Amino acid sequence: MRVPVPIPEIKIGASKHQRCYPAKEKDMAKIDLPKERVERWKEVMLKKMAEILEKYRSVRLFLDICVKCGACADKCQFFLGTGDPKNMPVARADLLRKVYKRYFTLGGKVWGRANEAEELSEGVLQEWITYFYQCSECRRCSIFCPYGIDTAEITIAAREIMAAAGIATKYVTEVVAKVYDTGNNMGIRPLAWKDMCAFFEEDLKDTEGEDIKFPVDAVGAEVLLLPPSADVFVNNNTMAGYAKMFHAAGISWTTSTYCNEGGNFGLFLNFANMKKINNRILEAARQLKVKKIYWGE
Amino acid sequence: MGALTFIFLPYLCTAVFLLGIGMKVFFWIRTPVPLRIVTTPAPRTRMGVTWRLIGDLLWFPNLFNADKLLWLAGWCFHILLWLVLLRHLRYFLYPVPTWVKGILTLGLYAGYLIPIPLAFLLTRRLVIERALYISILGDYFALFLLLSTTLSGILLQVFFRTYLIDIKALILGLIHFKPLLPQAHWLFSIHLLFVMALLIYFPFSKLMHAGGLLLSPTQNQRANFEQRFINPWDFPVAYNDQNIFSPEKYRQALMEQKGEKE
Repeated sequence: MRVPVPIPEIKIGASKHQRCYPAKEKDMAKIDLPKERVERWKEVMLKKMAEILEKYRSVRLFLDICVKCGACADKCQFFLGTGDPKNMPVARADLLRKVYKRYFTLGGKVWGRANEAEELSEGVLQEWITYFYQCSECRRCSIFCPYGIDTAEITIAAREIMAAAGIATKYVTEVVAKVYDTGNNMGIRPLAWKDMCAFFEEDLKDTEGEDIKFPVDAVGAEVLLLPPSADVFVNNNTMAGYAKMFHAAGISWTTSTYCNEGGNFGLFLNFANMKKINNRILEAARQLKVKKIYWGE
Repeated sequence: MGALTFIFLPYLCTAVFLLGIGMKVFFWIRTPVPLRIVTTPAPRTRMGVTWRLIGDLLWFPNLFNADKLLWLAGWCFHILLWLVLLRHLRYFLYPVPTWVKGILTLGLYAGYLIPIPLAFLLTRRLVIERALYISILGDYFALFLLLSTTLSGILLQVFFRTYLIDIKALILGLIHFKPLLPQAHWLFSIHLLFVMALLIYFPFSKLMHAGGLLLSPTQNQRANFEQRFINPWDFPVAYNDQNIFSPEKYRQALMEQKGEKE
């Protein structure tokens, strides 16, 4: 059923002040990024942008072909929620598009005004920091765009560009750094993980009256389960549900203390970290010699 | 002046148009697609992708779901534009093929109607606050060129009729690289100038959306998850040994942590 959402009036700058905390130095060091904004940030960012344009057809194409029809404008929950026009997917992409046009297209170089080209300045960067972190990369806009323009790709590119110059948010970098230290986003240490699983077993014995196992680091199990670590931490019923399901189906399974996280915050930061975090899943699976990976988030 | 308008500029604009589009498409195709980012509902086979793209080209289903009124105007405009363009083939082909003769009347009325969706699209940009906010000079310029071209074309058809044989001689002369100057009404030169401006503007502007749709990774990929998707610029994972646990370091740390507890 479609529930009509009232389209808000445009309020310029309505969510301008809602900004993320900047990343901490200790986290940035752990995830191979500059500790703070580098001195020559403009050059670094433009260089990274050129690299991304060579690597991602999606970004190059989406920056080129948007006709600004506005079909996506009232589809973004961030626009519907705030009414800030820069939260319309097209306007969000325009933040990157105007810089792209200024430095990488003939149209923007020759006739910048018609093509809305703009230099990468401190003001533009501040807009990037504000509005590219007000996108959840849900891709809802892409299914309404006649050309399938996916603003998530643009957001990902912009965040990668900013990360290269040492600009990121505390929340995301902290979580990514935590994954490298503990194997999950919540920061649950291996022994704590084992303890929680033992607790689950006792709890289920009380409530269900059966020996439902929560194996940890069981070498040679058939399935490696990667729940979102929040399932262990807060959504306990979901975690108990996994075990009951495996128990009923008679499938041998295990979790790993090296990698016990189904979510990947590298998506919100940059490609290298996303790849590293995903690679841990393969490493864990090889360590435990499992046949299958069940991966939910 | 005549030679400039009727010989030099048409050749120049056509060359810029073709080369510009070719270069844009070349850059798009050359750029790799590192990840599978196809949007749902995604086809699983190549045939499915073909049908999806044909559907996208002919019906604009995404726009239909997004905004019915905008879809109606956009879809009508594109269909009418195609009819008008096909009708214009009669100035370029000799002898005129039967199917072109068949759509002459249809194309004529399409030409009369085409300013209506264009005017709607322009009004929409000015009236809807959101659309006004995102519109840039380039958007208005494209609409201005299209409106001027169609309006001058309609005027040529209805009020200031030019001698068709002359026009056709000019165009065929250009095609066969034996250009000659026509005795045409001044309005025809205006019409031609607008068309040439459109040709020059096309490759450097958003009007390139026409070709971009077919190459859009969210639309032209398959959801064949059985097959591994290979990233052409993939690189090996490099761990930062100082800060990050490698599997070996991790096992060591686990042992240490155990020792502390006991």
